[in-house]
Amino acid sequence: MTFSSSYFLSLTTFIYLGAAALYLIHWIFRVQKVGLLATIVTAGGLVIQTTGIILRWVESYKLGYGHAPLSNLYESLVFFAWMTVLVYLVMEWRVKRRVIGAFATPFASLAMAYASFSPEIEDEIQPLIPALKSNWLIAHVVTCFLGYASFAVACGLGIMYLFKNRSSGDSTGIMGIIPDCKVLDELMHQTIIFGFLWLTLGIITGAVWANDAWGTYWSWDPKETWSLITWFVYATALHARFVRGWAGRRIAYLSIIGFVSVMFTYFGVNFLLSGLHSYGSQ
Amino acid sequence: MKASSSIYQDNPIWRFFSSVRLAVFLLITLAVTSIAGTLIPQRESLQFYLETYGPNFFRIIKFLHLYDTYHSWWYLTLLGLFSTNLIVCTLKRLPFTLRLFRKDNLSMDSGRLLRMPFKKDWEVKEELDNDSIRSIISAFKDVVGKFHERPDTADGGRLFLEERGKWSYWGIYCLHGSILIIFLGALVGLFMGFKGSVMLPEGETIDHIVNKQTGEQIPLGFSVRCDRFDISFYDNGAPKEYRSDLTVLNGNKEVVRKSIVVNDPLKYRGITFYQASYRAIPEVTVRVAESESTQRLLTISAFQKTLWPEAQLTFGLIQYLPSVHGRPAAQIWIGDREGREGSLWLLKGNKKEFKKGENSYGISLVNARQRYLTGLQIKKDPGVWIVWLGCAFLIIGFTVVFWVPHRRVWLWIGRREGKTIVILSGQTSKNKLQFEKDIREIEKALDSRLGAR
Repeated sequence: MTFSSSYFLSLTTFIYLGAAALYLIHWIFRVQKVGLLATIVTAGGLVIQTTGIILRWVESYKLGYGHAPLSNLYESLVFFAWMTVLVYLVMEWRVKRRVIGAFATPFASLAMAYASFSPEIEDEIQPLIPALKSNWLIAHVVTCFLGYASFAVACGLGIMYLFKNRSSGDSTGIMGIIPDCKVLDELMHQTIIFGFLWLTLGIITGAVWANDAWGTYWSWDPKETWSLITWFVYATALHARFVRGWAGRRIAYLSIIGFVSVMFTYFGVNFLLSGLHSYGSQ
Repeated sequence: MKASSSIYQDNPIWRFFSSVRLAVFLLITLAVTSIAGTLIPQRESLQFYLETYGPNFFRIIKFLHLYDTYHSWWYLTLLGLFSTNLIVCTLKRLPFTLRLFRKDNLSMDSGRLLRMPFKKDWEVKEELDNDSIRSIISAFKDVVGKFHERPDTADGGRLFLEERGKWSYWGIYCLHGSILIIFLGALVGLFMGFKGSVMLPEGETIDHIVNKQTGEQIPLGFSVRCDRFDISFYDNGAPKEYRSDLTVLNGNKEVVRKSIVVNDPLKYRGITFYQASYRAIPEVTVRVAESESTQRLLTISAFQKTLWPEAQLTFGLIQYLPSVHGRPAAQIWIGDREGREGSLWLLKGNKKEFKKGENSYGISLVNARQRYLTGLQIKKDPGVWIVWLGCAFLIIGFTVVFWVPHRRVWLWIGRREGKTIVILSGQTSKNKLQFEKDIREIEKALDSRLGAR
């Protein structure tokens, strides 16, 4: 089968790598047309990836397993990339600043490249283990990853903020087309609010699910604890605005630290710590 | 109001607990210290920590309760400080919110309206007749919908106010209160609930469980029988489903039957039974005979002794092999009342003889199978609904705090030095971009009535 899900998904990897490169060229060489091309390529990639995800879902039914493609590390990476591109494109459409793409799409490209090229990652469709057989699977994974994807974009904005902040006053050159610190700060704040809502919903759906599956809504499992740590970091970022001298640069740092914490919740817990969420590492 | 708040402000403890700075400090501290419990395995035996980390680090672990970080004295203290901080901040804010909420936004004058963040004014050279004024008001009404009116303001004008989302100031209390509600739910679960687990063999019944924390026996008030346990696999060998058929008994009456699987527990009278694990133990059936007249079928399970009452012999299962030359085999232990014991191997289909004292007996393996024990997690937590309520408040509060604005749009029409003045102004607590668009829309509608002049 040529047009299988894996065909579309590996194609997506190359499209996103290309899109990230185009956004970087758009930023560094300030060519407007390349920016437009980057948007078109990214949107096209999203369509192809969506097709791939739907096909994979259909294929799992054909294999007799029948579950949403959200059940192992490969599928979650693909979904993370998909969400990140979606969140970014919505933001680009709303704020009309393509330069943000240079800092947001690389996250999606890296996730896809990791999923496709890492030898440790099993990309076959596997049956669902008993613990994952629940209607909460989709709700839990979608909410969490909407949060993760927003935080990836917020991290990109944080990096942009620090770049811009360093080159204060320089309105030409590659720093020139980065939006003003004030604009970035507001965007970062809005993105963190959005991500925080979804992270909170992700933790709550996880708790409801755990209560049905394990008999306790909170068991201080490393994955749970790390999601709470992440929650604390972003809660700090939301409160920091009300403390004098904390707005701006420190929130940009918190946005980056928060995303490091997200990454540790996502990967670190699976690979370095043991716990109930171990199926995420296969 | 002033007097009471200054009394509070003089109190250094109150000042300490009412600062957002403390909230930020506590959030960071909680984030950093929570890491400890994810790096060090939790709730192992003290021996484990001594062997893994050595005596020096062990002392730190023991002092800081790092073997159970999230229930340690210092972590609970942090959570206590966090709650206090939340409550004090709430109380400090309350009078301010009440003032905002009670504020009459119709007591305004043209001067203050012109200092609002969004404003636009028109000066009309002649005095407008009633019809023109009515048309301006209806243009305003067409855009904003419902509005309040004050026909005679202090500076002699007519004031119209469209106000929405005034209640949104309470969102922050809903959001912060939800955290306290979740804590309350957790405490209710801790003091009024229990948790335990049991390995229940097929066919057997329990009517009490052992509390995991305290070790005390808790009667269920009813009993639960495991009728059957079943495990199924996918073609690739991965487990597909663990299923226990449970029956709830009240006295001897069967009340409820349910097959539980992972993610679908049995709930009865506030107590929940979860499919958690299983164990398979071998079980063999042997035919023993003393003479032709006395023979009997005996079922022997692993880890259990079986008595043959007629001959006063006891049997046990030492080893079980599912396939020896394609047939099941078992090593059986046999003991008698005098304490003499011995063992022998049985292969299905072959008969063996053994002697105890003067008597000799025949024995053969009739059947062998796996007997299952289902591992159930049993829990009662009356606080869980309080936690869900808190979660709902958390989401509702968060949405209100960040996305429901308090919006006010004023329209003032009055006269000054023979001219008619029309002022449009507005204020919003959030989402200024959208508000600006809305204001521009009203402005355009008014322009079409006023601009023609």
